[in-house]
Amino acid sequence: MPYILVIEDDEITAREIVLELAAHGISADRVHNGLEGFQRALQPHYDAITLDLMLPGMDGLTLVKQLRERGITTPVLMISALGDVDERVRGLRAGGDDYLTKPFAPDEMAARIEVLLRRHRQEHPAQTRLRVADLELDMITRTARRGARELTLLPTEYRLLEFLMRYPGQVLTRAMIFESVWGLRFDPGTNLIDVHIARLRRKVDGEGDPGLIRTVRGSGYRLG
Amino acid sequence: MASPAKSWSIHWRATTSRLLLAYGVFFVIWGMVLLGFIYWETLHYLENRTDLQLKQQVGYLRSLDEEHMLVALNDYVVLEETNYNAWGLFDANGKWLYGDILQIPPGVTPDADTRRLPTDKVVSGPFAPKTSRLSVIAARLGNGQVLVLAHTTRIAAQVGTIIWHALWWGLSFTLVPGLIGGLILNRAPRRRIRQIESVMRPIMQGDLRRRLPVSNRGDELDRLAAIVNDMLDQIERLMGEVKGVCDNIAHDLRTPLTRLRSQLYRVQQQMREDDPHATLIEQCVSDIDEVLARFRALLRISELEDRRRREGFVAVDLGQTLQQVYELYAPLAEDQSLQFTLETEPNLLAQADPDLLFEAIGNLVSNAIKFTPPGGRVSLHARRDTPGTAQIEVMDSGPGIPEAQRHAVWQRFYRGEGGIDTAAGHGLGLSIVAAIARLHDFDLRIEGGQGGTHMVMTCRCFTTI
Repeated sequence: MPYILVIEDDEITAREIVLELAAHGISADRVHNGLEGFQRALQPHYDAITLDLMLPGMDGLTLVKQLRERGITTPVLMISALGDVDERVRGLRAGGDDYLTKPFAPDEMAARIEVLLRRHRQEHPAQTRLRVADLELDMITRTARRGARELTLLPTEYRLLEFLMRYPGQVLTRAMIFESVWGLRFDPGTNLIDVHIARLRRKVDGEGDPGLIRTVRGSGYRLG
Repeated sequence: MASPAKSWSIHWRATTSRLLLAYGVFFVIWGMVLLGFIYWETLHYLENRTDLQLKQQVGYLRSLDEEHMLVALNDYVVLEETNYNAWGLFDANGKWLYGDILQIPPGVTPDADTRRLPTDKVVSGPFAPKTSRLSVIAARLGNGQVLVLAHTTRIAAQVGTIIWHALWWGLSFTLVPGLIGGLILNRAPRRRIRQIESVMRPIMQGDLRRRLPVSNRGDELDRLAAIVNDMLDQIERLMGEVKGVCDNIAHDLRTPLTRLRSQLYRVQQQMREDDPHATLIEQCVSDIDEVLARFRALLRISELEDRRRREGFVAVDLGQTLQQVYELYAPLAEDQSLQFTLETEPNLLAQADPDLLFEAIGNLVSNAIKFTPPGGRVSLHARRDTPGTAQIEVMDSGPGIPEAQRHAVWQRFYRGEGGIDTAAGHGLGLSIVAAIARLHDFDLRIEGGQGGTHMVMTCRCFTTI
């Protein structure tokens, strides 16, 4: 069971994070201030950290910088009330792995933590081939097949499918998809991602195949 | 450049010019009054002297015997350059005896004071003087005869001419340099007014941080500029407060709304698929998402407006950006059975923030797709315009935006009244586009007449060699 360190000084936010993670089967430790958080984060048994950027004791940016300087690679989800693009860039540059602006939807936060956890686990073996059920993606030839059927994908569709297949069984929100596949962080309108998913779905889930790309009500999508 | 007529009208409207003209008119009138007075005084003096002379001459002549008198009278009429003399001798009955004056002029009585009479009543003929009046005096001699003497002088007329010339030259020497000097003096304030105008323009367009230039002279314009600057400080502060209140509301409401959404979401997760309330809850969640999206957009506009720096700007290939936007939105257009086309030129580079530029064009395209009914057309163009600029155009065959509403669509929360609000949209997209364009100093406008919206964003651009 994954184990998360929640460094957050706001009581309500902290409780929300811990509750939501628990709902996803993730247990969490919670600390209130930066210094204590830093001490705890040095211990090797955490799988990921959620980090408020404005903390008493030691601020989030310094904390993550110091962690990285000591070779600690635990993935960090930065959470900040500052939605500014510059803040985000600064946070990621300091060594954060993802950035979330307060207030956030807890399911979005949980989805991001899950992606971080999985990415961290995957980082070591260099994969060239992804497989989910009978769906297969070859990242060297950049081809995909469903069972015996070869899928003809446009470049965008390929990138979208690759992203979905890297995190099978995991809820991916529209914002996460837009950020990861297109590298953009603005509000593209409600149904733009849905339209892209629908096209991919028509190619992946052919007639007679069980549906692999699933819609998760109120959140996003899940493969498998 | 202003046309000459307009430039003159500007000259004329300037306060200095008006003062100058009024002063000029006053000066001319005053000069004329003064010189007129001098002329009148001179004339008066000369006539008095003439009268005196005539009296003396008559006195002298009557003291002579007739023979000597006639000789003296002959000397008297000797033609002179400046003076004219005439005489007439009449018997006791008024019958003419000698002289140029052929009859006693009417109204002249012997031994009375001098009289001034019109020239033609006294003498006539080729030697008559050009002046209009003559001084005439008559005296009864010892033998009962009547001697009439007339005298006039051209000096008065000459003095008049001199004064007239003095007036003209004086006016020319003062008025012409005065006017030229005035125009030159006028230039400095006009230059400052132009400076003020050039600062005011961006202020009127919303850049409230600019201030009017104040020199250290402390003149009227400086005082005015200082007042306007104080006023701008106040306006900026108030605007900041209003914007701050808006942002605070958006910011503060986001937290409880997010919490509400997560509670609803939790309820939704715990519900069975077939629960009759499931769709209701789902609708609630998506409504809250919509509200949150609006707040995000509002705060995004504020963030863009507050952003002053352009450090993040790099050379962006407009063609490539448009290609990416096209690829992102093409499926959406196809889903709505729209014909979506892209036309770009290679090598169009603009100094821009790539993500923001993408967002702006994406918003324009998204709007075009949203407001174009199925079966219509949306096209995305980038082309070189005048040297150094490129135009990004988004055209659609939708209902278009009426001329009267065009300036309003860039404002927050505006949605068209006649047609363009048929599709869902929170109306902040174009405000975001406007904020991004402003940040980049790109010109943004809506063109086209009937049928379809035609958005044009003009970028400063350069080409690699």
